[in-house]
Amino acid sequence: MIAVKNITKTYAGGGNGGAPALRGVSFDVREGDFLCVTGRSGSGKSTLLHVVSTLLRPDSGQILYRGEDVTRLPEPELNRLRLGDFSMIFQMHHLLAYLTALENTLLPFMSRLTPVKDAELAAARLCLDKVGLAGKHDRLPGSLSGGEQQRVAIARALVKKPKALFADEPTGSLDKKTGGGIIDLLGDLNAEGMTVTMVTHDQAYANAGNRKLTMEDGVLASDG
Amino acid sequence: MNILTIPLRNLRRKWLKTCLLTGVFAAAVLSVVGLTYVSREVGQSLEKKLTQFGANILVEPKVESLSVGYGGFNLGAVAYAAKSLDASAAAAKIRSIALHERISSVAPKLIEMAKVGDKPVGLIGVDFEQEQLIKNYWTVTGAMPDKPGEVLAGSKAASLLGLAVGSTLTASGRDFTVAGVLDETGSEDDAVIFAGLRDVQEATGAIGQANFIEVAALCSACPIDDIVAQIRALLPDVEIVAMQKVVKSRMYAIDFVKNLAMGVCAVLLLTACFMIALSLLASVNERKHEIGILRSLGFSRAKVFAIFCFEAVAIGCAAAVAGYLGGVLASQKTLAMLDVAGQAEQAAHAGHASVVGFDAAHFGLTLAAVCLISVAASIAPAWKAANTDPCEALVML
Repeated sequence: MIAVKNITKTYAGGGNGGAPALRGVSFDVREGDFLCVTGRSGSGKSTLLHVVSTLLRPDSGQILYRGEDVTRLPEPELNRLRLGDFSMIFQMHHLLAYLTALENTLLPFMSRLTPVKDAELAAARLCLDKVGLAGKHDRLPGSLSGGEQQRVAIARALVKKPKALFADEPTGSLDKKTGGGIIDLLGDLNAEGMTVTMVTHDQAYANAGNRKLTMEDGVLASDG
Repeated sequence: MNILTIPLRNLRRKWLKTCLLTGVFAAAVLSVVGLTYVSREVGQSLEKKLTQFGANILVEPKVESLSVGYGGFNLGAVAYAAKSLDASAAAAKIRSIALHERISSVAPKLIEMAKVGDKPVGLIGVDFEQEQLIKNYWTVTGAMPDKPGEVLAGSKAASLLGLAVGSTLTASGRDFTVAGVLDETGSEDDAVIFAGLRDVQEATGAIGQANFIEVAALCSACPIDDIVAQIRALLPDVEIVAMQKVVKSRMYAIDFVKNLAMGVCAVLLLTACFMIALSLLASVNERKHEIGILRSLGFSRAKVFAIFCFEAVAIGCAAAVAGYLGGVLASQKTLAMLDVAGQAEQAAHAGHASVVGFDAAHFGLTLAAVCLISVAASIAPAWKAANTDPCEALVML
């Protein structure tokens, strides 16, 4: 589904030549994979996820999504990809505090002037129910727990039925029990056919998927 | 729900900040609308009042004069070869200048020294219709003459000659009837008798002639020098005296009020613009994670730009509505407190509800202008928001 080929990324600063975050990383993400990327802090795993999810452009290398090099796509095409096939969830839930759970879930459909359609509204309600937030659709994020907020973020990521879900430390700000619930939810989604790529530094969750990549100093140390 | 839900909800969430910002902007719009209306009305009122001072251009025949003196004893100037003007031809030429729209009145006059009984009195032949345009401060007991053979007696002349409305008199061999007596003006008009121009021309045998013509041309943007030059070009053989000092001071007074109002308006709007820009800039910095998430969800730069721009436009629209209505109300109150109130009453009697009122075209113009200003104020912050790197915004947290 996604072929990552010899990706490099160097951040400015960090002495002469900048700070290299990725140094020739290559791997494949197959359809239906639940891929866990792990590694110590600063190993480049989050940068890798941002590059693969098209949030960040690599310095060199290719990312082929269904045969097309997305690193060369113009920005409008990348926007379309992020609005359609790719979805992201982050360590912080990043919900809009002034929108209800339902409205936050509908955000991907609110990027236009035409009103949200009934079918989209129904899909958003379904996603919220699916992540266990039935009856809390009209609650503002401030009145939800951390785990519930992350579930809203997952519902938002699911609502447009993406092909690939990228999760950057989705349990990072949650306690063990709540974090475990989120991992179970991602596992359920994967079982339904969703391709999931998750970055985590927590070894307890690193084996949740069917594959584990380990990053060390910007290179792929293991793939298995 | 659509893209506009995002800025509208954000404005609602920060209702106090939104209200304060709208209030400041509305105050600026109110001041601009109020000052514009007040300065316009005051300017027009001033023009009307200043017009009452009379003509500001005098057209008279060239008079050759010779100073006579001998041995240090001055006998004064002796005029000779005095000419008169062809009244209708000169008036027609004056009315045909390029700036003819600036001319409000052309009033020819023929002066005859007549005797009523055994008392000498000045008999002034005038075009009453034009004369009233120049001297709209005249008030008359009786009526203004509107038929041949009717005269208007100055108050002193009437008293001296024992004339009243309906009296008859003989002057320069013609019989006249007093149609009205001019109330005291405090000017030389009080001591003369005004008759129709044609009557005096016939009485004196100076058919079609006038001694001089008074021209009233006044408006805030009147190019008086150009008017004089254009009349001079068409009437090269006459003397044209522009009472420029008076005219310029009138124009200066009107322009000063308007320029002052415009200056204050510009400062107020600029301040409101900066306030909106600063507030939005702070909002962009505060909402970086929101921008990051929107970008990660596939919102284009243009859409992020539009969200922030719309916030400013929404505030601007609310401010425009409140500011315009407040401005109309404030200008009505201000004008009522000023001398212009009398004018407002006149307007009311004339069938107009008020000098200043809601005007749909002005309201539309205000709304459009404020929207444009809001967009201009939001460009820099919205640009900053649109160009926020989503990764940087999300990693930052």
